[in-house]
Amino acid sequence: MNGLKFIHKIQELFGILSVNEESSKKQTIKELLKKLKLRHIFLKKELKNETDIIKREAIHDSIKIIKKQIKKGKDILDD
Amino acid sequence: MKRLFLLVVILASSYAFIQSTNILHIAAGVAIFLFGMRNLEEGFRFFVGGLLDKFLKKITNNLYKSILFGAITTTLMQSSGLVAVIAISFISAGLISVAQGIGIILGGNIGTTTGAWLIAGLGLKINIATYALPMLVFGTLLIFQESKRLKGIGYALTGLGFSFLGIAYMKEGFDAFKETIDLTQYSADGFSGLILFTLVGAGMTIIMQSSHASLVLILTALSASQITYENAIALTIGANIGTTITAILGAFGAGYEGKKLAGAHFLINSLTGFLLIWFVPQFIHFIDLTAPFLGIAQHDYTLKLALYHTYFNLICVLLFAPLVHGLVALLNHLFKPAPTLESESDDVMFINESALDFPDTAQATLLKETKHLYNNVFDIIAQGLSVTKEDINSGMEIDDILKLRNVAMYVNMDEYYEKRIKEIYGKIINFAILAQGKFSNESNTQLIPIKNATIEIVEAFKASKHMQKNMLRYIDSENEDIRNEYNHIRRNLIKHLRNMQLIVNTSEEDIAVLLLSKLQLDAQKYDIAANKSLDNLIRTNKITYTMATSLMNDTTYAYTIASELTKVAHTLFIHTDTEFSEGREALILDETEVTDLTHPTEPRSNT
Repeated sequence: MNGLKFIHKIQELFGILSVNEESSKKQTIKELLKKLKLRHIFLKKELKNETDIIKREAIHDSIKIIKKQIKKGKDILDD
Repeated sequence: MKRLFLLVVILASSYAFIQSTNILHIAAGVAIFLFGMRNLEEGFRFFVGGLLDKFLKKITNNLYKSILFGAITTTLMQSSGLVAVIAISFISAGLISVAQGIGIILGGNIGTTTGAWLIAGLGLKINIATYALPMLVFGTLLIFQESKRLKGIGYALTGLGFSFLGIAYMKEGFDAFKETIDLTQYSADGFSGLILFTLVGAGMTIIMQSSHASLVLILTALSASQITYENAIALTIGANIGTTITAILGAFGAGYEGKKLAGAHFLINSLTGFLLIWFVPQFIHFIDLTAPFLGIAQHDYTLKLALYHTYFNLICVLLFAPLVHGLVALLNHLFKPAPTLESESDDVMFINESALDFPDTAQATLLKETKHLYNNVFDIIAQGLSVTKEDINSGMEIDDILKLRNVAMYVNMDEYYEKRIKEIYGKIINFAILAQGKFSNESNTQLIPIKNATIEIVEAFKASKHMQKNMLRYIDSENEDIRNEYNHIRRNLIKHLRNMQLIVNTSEEDIAVLLLSKLQLDAQKYDIAANKSLDNLIRTNKITYTMATSLMNDTTYAYTIASELTKVAHTLFIHTDTEFSEGREALILDETEVTDLTHPTEPRSNT
């Protein structure tokens, strides 16, 4: 086992293996996108059931934001 | 008093040095050894830099890993006291729990036994002074290098060199003593002797603040037959109790969690000492039985003492490792922070000097203290709106809150600032500047936004203070239109503060990411709607021109509060977990993206 491999093994053993920053960022975005999509579905359902105008407007705003965030996230992942 | 004590010590030592050059040799040996230990610690800090706290966070997620971490770092640094101080700073910064800290302390007790074996097995058997000199030369050479790693190795080498030199001086002093005076004539037998020497061991360790230095002194005295084996054992027990002083002193500037750990260190070592002191004769017998299996000769008392030291610390771990959670419960009961009333002065809760040792600790401390300041400012902004923070945190409809709080509530904002903001704000800024000067640029990219968030929190407070005067005047005004306008400001800010609380306290990151964008959108929409409404009121003469200017100014202040707090929420959320910060930040919409979503033609919806 050469020196580099040995260090790699030790890092792996103690869980301090450095992960590529870019892939870690994309992984976080991927997981967040999943949650945002679920939230989007949930808000759409909530909008259907809501009768109060002010609350409907607030939910509508949230849906608009989530749509834009999902699009933004997808663009980053596609790059 | 302290100075008088110092003067007495200097005078007494000077007298002793004039009387005997051997005492001078021993004392110089201790001084050189302690200096060496300091260099070794310094070297370790240089060498590991910010790696230690990253490493610590990864491996101390369970008790046994914490014990392993404590054992390894103490073996490397040869100072259990310093490891305890580091653990206190990590606990104060919230990087680890008290239970994990206790694991590190227990591991540190095991790590400290390696020093005793090295000194007894090597230090006293060979002429280590011959190794000390080249170490000092090469070490000093490396200290002058620019690379931090090389500097660290340099400090560690000189540290070892000085420690070896110190041991050699002590050994020389005790050997020479043997020819003129026999110190064993002062030995004490029986249980009273054990108690007396335990107290002496604890006392000398408290003075030197190093159980290692005490152990070296005990081992060299024992190898020169200047103390009896039984008394040496008692001194070792005392040294183990006395070493807790380093952590106790380190905890003075730390928070309650840190104090708990120092308390745990003291309890663990003292209780083990108290228990084992009753069984010294049995242990001597047990060591006589087991020593041959390790190849220790019958009359090699220094190695036998090292073995006793190991047994002592192993028993300590075996006794307390299963009791950690009970110990934490006891400490929680013993160290309860006194609740501070909102009318009382408030001070920093997390910032302490030891938090400046490592970049991650400094960042976590800064973040926690900023949240503390945010909580105080949140409270006063709520009061400035004539509502309470409990109202905001409740699930009550905002309109119901406004109906309930329809009378102006006066609060002295200047007094609140002096009592509960100024001190904390000043200390946060001071801490951030010190940390920025100490750590690399990479760490500063994390520290600067948190420092700026503190400034933004105070800006939001100032805007709230400016707004309060008119708020008090118009909340219960007879003019319905101006009252409605001010209630509208209140309604929007309460909604904003509610969302802020959700972001700061939620564990669901998608909610935080969504709300952060929504806060920006709401602030922009409100600004547009408020301007339209104001124009309308002026044109129709529903409010006076003084009311109009007040409303214009206060709308701007309300916008400042909302936008500054949005920036604060953004920073607090993003920097809570640096590992995910980039990904989270990427999905939060910026100002331009939010502007695209705003429709300036939309009418005000809630008036």
